[in-house]
Amino acid sequence: MTTRDAAVRIKGVSHQFGEAGETQYVRALSDTSLDIARGELLCLIGPSGCGKSTLLNVIGGLMTPTSGTIEVAGKPVRGPMPQDIAFVFQENALFPWNTVLENVRLGMLFQGVPKSEHETRAQKSLEAVGLADFAHHYPGQLSGGMRQRAALARALSLKTDILLMDEPFGALDEQTRMILGEDLSVLLASTEKTIVFVTHSLGEAVFLADRVAVFSARPGTIKKIIRVDEPHPRKPEFVTSEKFAALRNELYALLHDEIRKTVAESARSRETS
Amino acid sequence: MARRNERAAGIGSRAVQIGFLLGILVLWYLATNRWGVNRLLLPNPIAVWQQLLDVLKSSEYLPDLRVTLTELLVAFALSMTFGITVGFFVSRTRYSIRVFDPLFAGIYSIPIILFLPLYVLFFGLGPASKIALGATISFFPIVLSTIAGFSNVDRTLVTAAKSMGASDYQLFRYVLVPAALPVILSGLRMGFTIALLAIIGSETIASLAGLGHHIVQLAEGMDMARMFAYIAFVVVIAVLLNGIVSFLEARGRRWT
Amino acid sequence: MTPSLRIYLLRHPGVVRLGVIVLILIAWEIAARWFIDPLFISPPSRVFLSLGAVWQTAGVPAALRLTFFELAVAFAIAVVIGLTVGLAVGLQPFVRRSLLPIILLLYGLPQITILPLFILYFGIGAASKIAFGVTHGMFPITLAIVAGVQNLKPILLVSARSMGASRWQVLRWVIFPHMIPSFFAGMRLGMSGVLLGVLLAELYVSTAGIGHFTTMFTENFDPTKLFGLVTMLAAMAIVLNEIVRRAETRFSRWR
Repeated sequence: MTTRDAAVRIKGVSHQFGEAGETQYVRALSDTSLDIARGELLCLIGPSGCGKSTLLNVIGGLMTPTSGTIEVAGKPVRGPMPQDIAFVFQENALFPWNTVLENVRLGMLFQGVPKSEHETRAQKSLEAVGLADFAHHYPGQLSGGMRQRAALARALSLKTDILLMDEPFGALDEQTRMILGEDLSVLLASTEKTIVFVTHSLGEAVFLADRVAVFSARPGTIKKIIRVDEPHPRKPEFVTSEKFAALRNELYALLHDEIRKTVAESARSRETS
Repeated sequence: MARRNERAAGIGSRAVQIGFLLGILVLWYLATNRWGVNRLLLPNPIAVWQQLLDVLKSSEYLPDLRVTLTELLVAFALSMTFGITVGFFVSRTRYSIRVFDPLFAGIYSIPIILFLPLYVLFFGLGPASKIALGATISFFPIVLSTIAGFSNVDRTLVTAAKSMGASDYQLFRYVLVPAALPVILSGLRMGFTIALLAIIGSETIASLAGLGHHIVQLAEGMDMARMFAYIAFVVVIAVLLNGIVSFLEARGRRWT
Repeated sequence: MTPSLRIYLLRHPGVVRLGVIVLILIAWEIAARWFIDPLFISPPSRVFLSLGAVWQTAGVPAALRLTFFELAVAFAIAVVIGLTVGLAVGLQPFVRRSLLPIILLLYGLPQITILPLFILYFGIGAASKIAFGVTHGMFPITLAIVAGVQNLKPILLVSARSMGASRWQVLRWVIFPHMIPSFFAGMRLGMSGVLLGVLLAELYVSTAGIGHFTTMFTENFDPTKLFGLVTMLAAMAIVLNEIVRRAETRFSRWR
């Protein structure tokens, strides 16, 4: 992949929390390198604590890695880059005292979008996620799925090239996840954004991604990258196809041992504490 | 059937409450008018009522009321300003919270009214000592709730705002303040209530003017009926003021 | 600042807190010695050195003992009242619905307004101080017990009954242990209330209690002795609060 095609270059990124010898010492990420192509949807999947969310935060400039570098759009990442990167968090990222519309507009205010564009952009992104009728509702009045749609609308209105999503559907029930996943696929098919999507769900990863990066147990590093060759937008029929099952099984095989390792490790650490 | 029992119980308890309050009034009347309880101990409720009307009509309470209210407002203005400012700056780092929060909580746990003699010694018997004590006492719930409010802002909200490029000022105005406001408002209400009690208390104990002082004067003059009337008057004022403050707090919360 | 000192301070905020207190004492010392009329303020050094003299002032130790006695008796009575009324109100839903609003109403009234009345009724001796302390302390205890009994999960009562427990057994083995943490929390608040009530009454009028001496030291413009006495009282208050707080922590472990 040439520099021109890579939207994000991750080089040798490691991250640890705390100092060696302290009780809170955690090696979250170990020497991770990866190039993410422009316009692709990359999923990060792995057992709990494998560092996938840490990597996402590092890419987005919310954390500085203890070693390694990140380049986004050719520039080294040193802090949040609101012009280039937008986030969708798992939950609690909407301001509960503002309506959905006000939340979307606030995002643009923070980014520095001229006031004249606020209304049109907000309307468009709310329509794109299907929340146009709920613009004046408060997050507390919406279901979990609708709140995440609102968070997505806010991110979309910022018109960044890169979208980072940290388990955006993690707090939702299975059925809502299914619907949101399908809608997301349709929505993203029409954009050229580069998307990095962290998830726990095997099915979600296969359904949405162009590539899936599978992480090992802590300290996390990329064990394998699986390519999902299926045109966008992904259709519901894809889920019941043999290709889907095969990919899902491959992911399962890769992950199962890592998950077992993680559970054993956390039980061991609970014994010694 | 269950719903009917519910309603019956609701009406029943309401009846007990009304009966209780009426019963007190009846006992009071009987005690002074029929059972010969000394009027110097318990005044005739009718006399108390007449004295109350007289107090309200004569507006002799005005100078004392003015003194007490002035002391209250100045004290509260001071404690609000200092409390919120100090509380905000302490809340900025987790370390300063760990240093200062227990300090404030510790001082707040002792009855600060203890220091009244010191304030009287320093400021004299005039309004200054009441204002100083009232401001000191009400400072603590305000600063503690300000620290709590600002430090308990959901981290995700702050991260999200920063990721969208919010400046420090935008973060303060659009995220921190609305998030912390409910807690701060409740602290302000507590501070106000406590300031009122502290001020009436210090007026009772050592003062030359004010509502608390007036009650003491009536007690020393053994004017029982008028004293009871004045107590009722002050209680109503206190309840009114607290009600206004609670209402303002609720209004403030709805804005966020 | 050396790096190791910095790390030490970062790990021990208590030390920095102590440092802040020391700084305040130093500022007080400087202000009292050189800037403010010694008639109104006394530097902490002089106060500390005169603590012995305060203790030796005729009547002060007796006054402190009397105040402690008033506090203890008021607290004991407040606990008994709070426990009885709290259980009576908390255990019977009808009684709770009827009487709780009245209790809350009374609790919300500014009791300080009737302090002169208490003195008229109970005299200027210890009785009025105890009575005023009781009325301040009994409400938090009552309300805490009512709350403690109320938030008992019904499923616990159901499972006890299903195993054949009698009413007395349910009270002894389910309701009572469940209520203990709230009881101790209520006692902590009750102690604060009792402290407040007794001290207010003492400061208002006192012939042999510490209120007598605070008035005396104030009228004689003796800030040293006054600060000393107030410090001793504050220490007494802190110790009493701490005792109740520790008791609460110890008995609330299962929460």
